[in-house]
Amino acid sequence: MLVSFNWLKQYVKLTDAVTPEEVASKLTMSTVEVEGVKHPASTLDGIVVGKILSVDKHPDADKLKVCKVSIGSETLSVVCGGSNLAENMFVAMGKIGARVRWHGEGDLIELKPAKIRGVESQGMICQSTEIGLGEKFPLHDEREIIDLKDLVSVKNVGKPLAEVLGLNDAVLDIDNKSMTHRPDLWGHYGLAREVAALYKKDLKPYEVPEIKVGKELKIKVNVEDQSLCPRYMAVAVVGVKVGPSPAWLQNFLQSVGVRPINNIVDITNYIMYDIGQPMHAFDGQFLTGNKEKELDIIVRRAKDGEDFITLDGTKHKLDHSMLVIGNAEKGIALAGVMGGLNSGVKEGTETVVFESANFDPIIIRKAALNLGLRTDSSARFEKSLDPNLTKIALKKAVALTLEFCPGARVVSNVPDVKSFGLNQGPIELSWSFLFKKIGLEVDKKEVVSILTRLGFEVKEKKDLLAVKVPTWRATKDISIPEDIVEEVARVYGYGNIRTTMPLFPIDPPETNELRELGHRLRNVLVKELAYSEVYNYSFVSADQIKTLGGEVEKYIEMDNPLSKEKPYLRRTLINNLLENIRKNIENFSTVRIFEVGQTFLLNESGPRVKATSDELLPRQDTWLTSVVAMKKSQNLFSVAKQVVEVVAQEFKTEFVYRKPEVLKPWQHSTRSASIYYADELVGAIYEVHPAVLARLGIEGRVAAVDLVLNRLVELGAVRNEAKYQTVPVYPEVVRDFAFVIPKQITHEEIKKVILSSYPLVKQVELFDSYSGDKIASDKKSLAYHILYGSNDHTLTAEEITSAHEKVINNLVSQLGAEVRK
Amino acid sequence: MREDIEKLRQEFLQGVKEVKDTLKLDDLYQRFFSRKSGELNQILKNLKDLGDEARKEVGQLANQVKTELEEIYSAKKQELSQGEWSEQIEAEQVDITEPSLPPKDSGHLHPNTIVQKELEDLFTSMGFMVLDGPELESDHYNFEALNIGRHDPARDTQDTFYIKNHPDWVMRTQTSPVQVRAMEKYGAPLRAVVPGRCFRNEATDAAHEHTFYQLEGVVVDKDISIAHLVAVMKTLLKGVLKRDVEVRLRPGHFQFVEPGFELDIKCLVCGGTGCGACKHSGWIETLPCGLIHPKVIEAGGLDPKVWTGFAFGLGLTRLVMQKYGIEDIRHLQNGDLRFLKQF
Repeated sequence: MLVSFNWLKQYVKLTDAVTPEEVASKLTMSTVEVEGVKHPASTLDGIVVGKILSVDKHPDADKLKVCKVSIGSETLSVVCGGSNLAENMFVAMGKIGARVRWHGEGDLIELKPAKIRGVESQGMICQSTEIGLGEKFPLHDEREIIDLKDLVSVKNVGKPLAEVLGLNDAVLDIDNKSMTHRPDLWGHYGLAREVAALYKKDLKPYEVPEIKVGKELKIKVNVEDQSLCPRYMAVAVVGVKVGPSPAWLQNFLQSVGVRPINNIVDITNYIMYDIGQPMHAFDGQFLTGNKEKELDIIVRRAKDGEDFITLDGTKHKLDHSMLVIGNAEKGIALAGVMGGLNSGVKEGTETVVFESANFDPIIIRKAALNLGLRTDSSARFEKSLDPNLTKIALKKAVALTLEFCPGARVVSNVPDVKSFGLNQGPIELSWSFLFKKIGLEVDKKEVVSILTRLGFEVKEKKDLLAVKVPTWRATKDISIPEDIVEEVARVYGYGNIRTTMPLFPIDPPETNELRELGHRLRNVLVKELAYSEVYNYSFVSADQIKTLGGEVEKYIEMDNPLSKEKPYLRRTLINNLLENIRKNIENFSTVRIFEVGQTFLLNESGPRVKATSDELLPRQDTWLTSVVAMKKSQNLFSVAKQVVEVVAQEFKTEFVYRKPEVLKPWQHSTRSASIYYADELVGAIYEVHPAVLARLGIEGRVAAVDLVLNRLVELGAVRNEAKYQTVPVYPEVVRDFAFVIPKQITHEEIKKVILSSYPLVKQVELFDSYSGDKIASDKKSLAYHILYGSNDHTLTAEEITSAHEKVINNLVSQLGAEVRK
Repeated sequence: MREDIEKLRQEFLQGVKEVKDTLKLDDLYQRFFSRKSGELNQILKNLKDLGDEARKEVGQLANQVKTELEEIYSAKKQELSQGEWSEQIEAEQVDITEPSLPPKDSGHLHPNTIVQKELEDLFTSMGFMVLDGPELESDHYNFEALNIGRHDPARDTQDTFYIKNHPDWVMRTQTSPVQVRAMEKYGAPLRAVVPGRCFRNEATDAAHEHTFYQLEGVVVDKDISIAHLVAVMKTLLKGVLKRDVEVRLRPGHFQFVEPGFELDIKCLVCGGTGCGACKHSGWIETLPCGLIHPKVIEAGGLDPKVWTGFAFGLGLTRLVMQKYGIEDIRHLQNGDLRFLKQF
């Protein structure tokens, strides 16, 4: 919200030494965040009101004129090309030294004495766009100069233009988000009250004369549901001459970024920015009554499907959740949001009906949201306005109308349909509560003074404070003792509170094993295997799902995704990781990446939606998925498997690999394994199916590892420690041998046979595996190290030889191995 | 005889001068000093023919010369053997500027992980638990329990992703829901931080992301005050930024705290005089915080008459960007290794 400093100063007297910047900073430190202070007039230095005394032809140029311009103390001779130059015209005279933007473009340039086509010019008669007033004085032709007619008089000649036009103002830009909880601050008077409290100054009372009611017209108001409209007031005025507002009001509106329309509309806007109460003005002819000289106003819910055109020309279909003003059939305003296109006040309007009402914040907010129509009005109503403002606003509107239109008079009664209650407390709190919350004993008198300045009524009862809340803070904002703490502390000044450390016990915090696991895995992958960590979005597209052969129906879908393409929540990390591969493989021949993140499984049970409810959120496991891609590689499965092996080493444990019971559609069916820990499924290793890679346009091979981290934590995988065994006392002997064996025999089976062959076998290690041209296509060649040893004696050569023979014989007889010599 | 010895000395010196390798040097040595056939010994055999006096004199001289020549011999020997290695050394020279080969690929942690881990360690050292929560949250925990009612305008400031067919499910807009989950699970007193992923339905550009990271902090204890909150925040910022910082507190409104604050730190770039980094205000908005609203304490299953607390939120993503000077927030989640390999 923009706030005019001059407007504020109408209500609180500040010394000239108090700058807008200082007020802005004080508000920021104690009330709301002021994002900036602007001085619109800063570009108008050196520009004064001038009066043209004469206009003569330039001796040497057809389009130029030589003018004599009075600026009071002296008369200047100025060469000008303006199209509308005339004697006795009041103009914006740029003196030598003023800064202008030539033809409204480029940087500001300082005016210097100059000769134009041989004639001396002592300054410049300005166009609106040259001095930043293009909006206030729109150009009608490109050589038009500002005509100050109606805005100035002879007594203004020579005065600074900014001052005369009321532009010597400063504008504070307040962050609306910082005052969503303060309905009272959405107008200048409320902010002035705050500034007065901060500077310990008096606030000028907001005085408005009572309305002298008329008897010619009867306004009947029917509020169908008073909970939705706690107060409704209206009044009819005739004899209004609709036209421009006075300059001071136009200036105020313009300074806060509101375009002046006509005096009546401007009055309603002015009051909204003055005290925060939105109003509406109707043309009375659009309201009808049952009888002659009667106007009926109904405040009702809209009918489902009811058509309504707002004054911005947009057609809307209304529904039962919205509130309209009008009669039974036709609405003339969308309550609290915007008026209708046709019922507004314009030139020729005879009877003006002012509405001043208070609406339920929720219904207004919902209507504005559903219609996509957030207005200054709805923004205020949804903050829970004080219903007392309704009456003040109506009185002010009438007073201003009568002031601006001497022929105007009130012709109606002033209906006031109301049903509201405000909880003004009093809120009781003890001094010790207050001081404990702040962490400081503030002087009690100071506390009372602060609260009183803010409009609270304070009564002291023994150790208690009873604080009565002013109506403008009582709608929602202030309701509990903690709110009072804030009021005192913020005005006292947060900077004045001496900080103290709380006392905490030195208990070591409980370890988050899932986090610990995640960090250790990351480190192992990064440090040992040169994987890099990526972060991807949690969202995937239907295309991504289908490319991998997944079913969209299994995915959780967002109601309002940012991008229509990616409305689904990931069930695995692989979709986006494959995208990463596709992009990175263009730059790198080998890509090793991984991600740790949450996945979302529809129809599987996760955390509770509420402690007291049995309803559950979807299951959200934390996964680690690593992916390796190489343009040239035959067995990427085994490269990927390194990940699981280093993880096993890190956690001093072993995993078991089994053929998957269920294959994911993107897995290579003969190069996939399930990973088991403590006999539970905890992950998978697989190459990505070549068909999927082809669909993605990825050359080469890609293999991945999934680990479900929360499962590993549940199974206690993080808690393993190294198991120490005594260093062997007797020497051990390694024997190597190689053999050819049918392809389908697994290493696991071979290992089992070797280990069970002879008690002296202590370790079995595969160190080479080959299949290819040199052996039969259904065979593979394997080479093993076997470690022989005993815990109670040194093995003899005979023992070793016989053990080794036993191993070989078993492999030959049980698994069909052919030993290579 | 003296002359013979002197002659022999000269010959030896000449020989040493000319010798080029250790083998020849050894031959030379043998020729002169061999016990059996060495020339010096040959000369000394004639000592017995001299008189006592002369014999003594010549004997001394011979010893002197022998010592001298032996020293020369060993010096020469060392010199020659050095030379023999040098050929090999010369042949084995390497280019010390070549990188070690084959090139070793390196892995990299994501910058967010690096900063987050640092913070987790810092908080753990201050006795805080590090907690997690679901990213798909219920409306209850994300809003209602945090005192943000269904129609609270405060919801406007948190553009929320909702889930189809589940009007009560949202992608969490903040890590604050874990405050309530933590109170329910651990009770009080409680000290915890929650680093994690949050979602806001807003268009993405260089400064805005729909997916970002926050670090929530929560302390529940008895008699917690504003003075405590500021003191803890200062300590934590000192730990994060690794230097003393000046902070200021100003009002900030968040439904789940009362009173609520924005905590600014004095601009580290200009020291408070005003610069581009702080938009010429001298202060950088750093973290929203406040005393936990009694309704939130109550939602966590605790008695707000007994328990109080404070909470704060740190924009982790923003901190990462500040730390490394990352100009575009979108780099963080596009998986480009050219970006990631720099950390």
